[in-house]
Amino acid sequence: MKVKYLFPNKYKKVGLFVLIPSAIIGLLTFILNYEPDFLTLNVPAIFINEFFGDNYLFGFIKNNIFNEILGILTIISSLLVAFSKEKSEDEFISKIRLESLVWAVYFNYAVLLISFLFIYGLSFLWVMVFNMFTVLLFFIIRFNWQIFKLKKSDSYEE
Amino acid sequence: MKNSIKVERAKKNITQADLATLAKVSRQTINAMELGKYVPSTVLALRLAEIFEVEISEIFTLEESDWS
Repeated sequence: MKVKYLFPNKYKKVGLFVLIPSAIIGLLTFILNYEPDFLTLNVPAIFINEFFGDNYLFGFIKNNIFNEILGILTIISSLLVAFSKEKSEDEFISKIRLESLVWAVYFNYAVLLISFLFIYGLSFLWVMVFNMFTVLLFFIIRFNWQIFKLKKSDSYEE
Repeated sequence: MKNSIKVERAKKNITQADLATLAKVSRQTINAMELGKYVPSTVLALRLAEIFEVEISEIFTLEESDWS
């Protein structure tokens, strides 16, 4: 079956190879609030809102780009892991893929709704940071779990 | 929907893996269809009919529950 919206199978491994270190480093630097000085640069920005200052459009601001780099790496590698073809990508796998995607969106928003109700103030910032990555993460976990179950459970018959 | 893939496969004396290769799908898909867990697309159903050299209606039959 020809599907145009998936990456070739080999990118799944490439994605995992990048995703695991960037997610771990990203999480650690976020928790420890670590920012290496040499990555503090003047960067272009579309919308600028300065503390005790004006709001304006288009300009340059001083910013540490370490978290941007890690965030971009995590998102791109998650997309590769999530949307690379399986070795035998057929219509049955596509159905499992679609079901897992719907499930992941539901689950993600269920978690977000619970967080809305029970997490307040600055702690909610953490929820928003994690929520940027969780749809893809939940999808990857659920889809691969389903594929694993399928391969394991299916009894071989001659 | 019921199907007689397993019977047709026995007539031809081929394994799930053989049929999977012929139909260009994974063995899990063949297994899921035989167990009634997956209803194939029209394209796959037609491919199976061609492989078994029978009419498509000889492999797949509607059940009462398919109308609800």
